[in-house]
Amino acid sequence: MEFFSFGNIIIYIDKFIKFINSIFFVILIIGISFALIISPVDYLQGDSVRIMYVHVPSAWIGLSIFSLIAVSTILNFIFKIKNLFLFIKSFAPIGLLFTCLSIVTGSIWGKPTWGTWWAWDARLTSMLVLMLFYVLFILSLKYFKNNENLTKILSIISILGIINIPIIKYSVEWWSTLHQPASIKFLGTSSIHPSMLIPLFLMLLVLLLYCALIFLMKYKTEIIKIKKQNIKRL
Amino acid sequence: MITEFLKMGGYGIYVWSSFFIVITSCAFLFYKTRKTLKKYEKEFAKELEKLPAEHKKRIAKSSKVISSILASQNKLS
Repeated sequence: MEFFSFGNIIIYIDKFIKFINSIFFVILIIGISFALIISPVDYLQGDSVRIMYVHVPSAWIGLSIFSLIAVSTILNFIFKIKNLFLFIKSFAPIGLLFTCLSIVTGSIWGKPTWGTWWAWDARLTSMLVLMLFYVLFILSLKYFKNNENLTKILSIISILGIINIPIIKYSVEWWSTLHQPASIKFLGTSSIHPSMLIPLFLMLLVLLLYCALIFLMKYKTEIIKIKKQNIKRL
Repeated sequence: MITEFLKMGGYGIYVWSSFFIVITSCAFLFYKTRKTLKKYEKEFAKELEKLPAEHKKRIAKSSKVISSILASQNKLS
C-alpha cells in the first residue's frame, strides 16, 4: 500500500504531466490536420461530418467518466478509500465539460443535418439528464461538508445516474429518434470507413490526453490541500 | 483555395464554431486548473516558510510531497 502513498503518487503525477506536455501539441496538430484537412467529405452530409471528430469523442468521454465516478463513489461508500474520493472530485468537472461539449456540438451538427438545433428525442434528452446528474454531483461536492452525508448523497446520485447510461446507449434502438444509430461497434463490424475512423480515434486520443492532464493537475491540487491542512502536524 | 477551405462547402460556420467552442472551453479549464494548482503550491510554500529552518529542512527531506512542491516553486522563482 506504500506505493499508493501521496508521496509516491505526486512523483508519478509530475512525471506524467511532463510526459503529456511533451507529446500533446504534436498529437493535437496531427489530430486536427486529419479531422479538418485529410479526412474525406461525407457523400450525404458534406463537410459538416467533420463535427463528428469533436462531438463523438466528447460524448464517449462524458459517458465513460460518469460510469467511472459512479462506480468509484459506490466503492468509496462501501470501503471508505480516501484516494477514491480525490479521484471522484478530480474527474467530475472534466466529465461535465465533455458532456456539455457533446450536447453543444451535437446541437450545432443538428442544424445543417436535421434542420433544427434541438429536439426532445430520447438520445438528446437522456444526454441532458446526464448533464444534470453531473451538475448535482458537483454541487453536492461543493456544498456538503459532512463526509458521511456527502458519501450517501453521491452514492444515490451515482446509482440513479448509472441507470441513465444504458438508456443513453440504447435510446437510438429502443425509440424512434432523430439521432442516427451507432456507426462504431466495439464488438462487431463498424459501418464507418477507416479514412474517417483514424481521425476519430486520433481526436479521441487528443482529448483523452487532455483529460489525463487536467485530472493529474486537479488530483495534485487536492493532495496539496490535504497536506496544507495538516502542515502543523508535520 | 483558402477561402474554399474556410467555407467547408457551406458548412464552415458550423464546423469552425464547433472546433472553436471545444478548443476554447478546454483551454479555459486548463488555465483555471493550472492557476488553482499554482495558487495552492504558492500558499503551501508560504506556510512552509513560516516554519523554523531546521524543521523545514527535516520535513523537506522526509516528505516527497513537500520536496516536489518546493522544487516546482524554485522553478517558478
